Amino acid sequence: MAATAFHQAIGTLQSHGHLNYSAFHQEFGNASMNLISKGIKVDFGLLRRGSYCSRERNLCAIKASTSQTSVFDPVLSPSNNTTNDSPKKSNEAALILIRHGESLWNEKNLFTGCVDVPLTKKGVEEAIEAGRRIANIPVDMIYTSALIRAQMTAMLAMTQHRRKKVPIIMHNESEQAKAWSKIFSEETKRQCIPVVTAWQLNERMYGELQGLNKQETADRYGKEQVHEWRRSYDIPPPNGESLEMCAQRAVAYFKEHIEPQLLSGKNVMIAAHGNSLRSIIMYLDKLTSQEVISLELSTGIPMLYILKEGKFMRRGSPVRPTEAGVYAYTKSLAVYRQKLDEMFQ
Amino acid sequence: MAATAFHQAIGTLQSHGYFDHSGFQQEFGNASMRLISKGIKADFGLLRRGSYCSRERNFGVLNASTSQTSVFDPVLSPASNTTNHSRKKSNEAALILIRHGESLWNEKNLFTGCVDVPLTKKGVEEAIEAGKRISNIPVDMIYTSALIRAQMTAMLAMTQHRRKKVPIIMHNESEQARAWSKIFSEETKKQCIPVTTAWQLNERMYGELQGLNKQETADRYGKEQVHEWRRSYDIPPPNGESLEMCAQRAVAYFKEHIEPQLLSGKNVMIAAHGNSLRSIIMYLDKLTSQEVISLELSTGIPMLYISKEGKFMRRGSPVRPTEAGVYAYTKSLAVYRQKLDEMFQ
Repeated sequence: MAATAFHQAIGTLQSHGHLNYSAFHQEFGNASMNLISKGIKVDFGLLRRGSYCSRERNLCAIKASTSQTSVFDPVLSPSNNTTNDSPKKSNEAALILIRHGESLWNEKNLFTGCVDVPLTKKGVEEAIEAGRRIANIPVDMIYTSALIRAQMTAMLAMTQHRRKKVPIIMHNESEQAKAWSKIFSEETKRQCIPVVTAWQLNERMYGELQGLNKQETADRYGKEQVHEWRRSYDIPPPNGESLEMCAQRAVAYFKEHIEPQLLSGKNVMIAAHGNSLRSIIMYLDKLTSQEVISLELSTGIPMLYILKEGKFMRRGSPVRPTEAGVYAYTKSLAVYRQKLDEMFQ
Repeated sequence: MAATAFHQAIGTLQSHGYFDHSGFQQEFGNASMRLISKGIKADFGLLRRGSYCSRERNFGVLNASTSQTSVFDPVLSPASNTTNHSRKKSNEAALILIRHGESLWNEKNLFTGCVDVPLTKKGVEEAIEAGKRISNIPVDMIYTSALIRAQMTAMLAMTQHRRKKVPIIMHNESEQARAWSKIFSEETKKQCIPVTTAWQLNERMYGELQGLNKQETADRYGKEQVHEWRRSYDIPPPNGESLEMCAQRAVAYFKEHIEPQLLSGKNVMIAAHGNSLRSIIMYLDKLTSQEVISLELSTGIPMLYISKEGKFMRRGSPVRPTEAGVYAYTKSLAVYRQKLDEMFQ
């Protein structure tokens, strides 16, 4: 019986031609709730393998037309048999990736790279909107690049977060900076979410194209040459980085600093840039270089991954708290959400 | 005749008991417009000396009850006899000081000091509001502290600025940072407003009180001791800075890096903290240590100074662009405003 319902659900899978996280997630969320309200214990592992871990660029979307069920049904997770009510299991952690929104040079159509350009009004709004979508997902540590547009995106998003912990930016650039930023209360420290800034999460460095107008550059070097620099995997612009080089330092940083946190059960948010994030996604989803160069990430739309038993599972894009979607991820996230709701009643 | 009208205006000066910038500026603006619409060439120098450069903490406030005149009357500046239409004279420059708004630890009533705590939603709104007030005042360079709450305040304020130049944060922390942030278009560089971050503009470092709850600290050390640390001039908290020490490094930085820019005619904005800003104001207004410890700066309310011929003249707090006040500062600011209006029609 379970198998039949399951196959029916899979049968309605449709492929979309574009990695569109937000539409995907909404539909997935509804379908999951539908299966659960029918009292069917779904094997999440199976569902995931069929639709997520495909090596294809296309992300399958479930087309479900059921009505919404109560948001308080916890998601049944077959691999956890404990009755532990703690908000997370020690071997499960949430990873949120957010690409910053519009910057002042996006608006002017200039190549930005590692030039430290801030957000526009629209970029600020995108960050706040992203924050609303992740308001109910636990965050224990934040990593950003060394550029203000990513840092602001993270801090603006966190102004919307429902938990009362406080993000604090860590300073290690000098002995004085370390000493001056010290906190002298253990209680306060426990209420902190450390924010680590790392140049390794910066946007791809665009060398001699930084600051140039995209049209002018096409006129100067020719459209094809520019297209090659922008869209190839391993050809860098003059004195700049190729996507491969960017991926090298971004993924190395992720594996050395961020992955251990996730493995120890810490929930992490990364606020960064198009190229550093797709590099990390390449690692998480085991994409080929062909796949990664055609991967487009929406700005300001948070992407959720769940790390469980050493594997990363893509969970699409969280929707705003008024919708049922967030319950569909895992039992522990649903329990966490419930606690927040109780706290704020 | 001019003298009579002038003395009448001075005669309506009222002293307020509190350094309240916002109320002051609105009224001053109206009075100036009235003088000008009557065709009187007011001696701005005289007016300023009588009401601003007082060594007292109290701020003179003009009580004017006139109706608003057309906002397009340029302010007559007697010191300039040239018909030079350039936007600013080479020996006059605007200096804007903005104290950041509410941070997450303000909200929790914890001593912050140099712990890098971000803004709350309210602090974000205060920054945007401050930006609206200075949207018509030229900015050529920005200085902030090394702390995110001041940097965000500056960048959020600038999202409201009418001029199309782009703030770019300068990176000099390493050779790589410098190389990676390089801009390769002269045209683009001309459209940049360099943003310099400096720890010397940080909030006063609060030593072993950082992160402590204000009530707990009073319980632990006694209310009087805490009051002495917070409000004296030269007594630092344990392993922290006194206001005198904070002033030393903040004013030294101002004199070495910022003042030369102003003297060369560059318009500067400083986004920083209560103690670093009052230290600078102490220098600008030649306050005594007694005066500075009772100086309270409103958060998120920009303060304007005009640097002219080596002197700093306090110009109160700019009001929102819909009001006449901004025209009252100097002729060059009025001309600048006109150009912006023409650009945006």
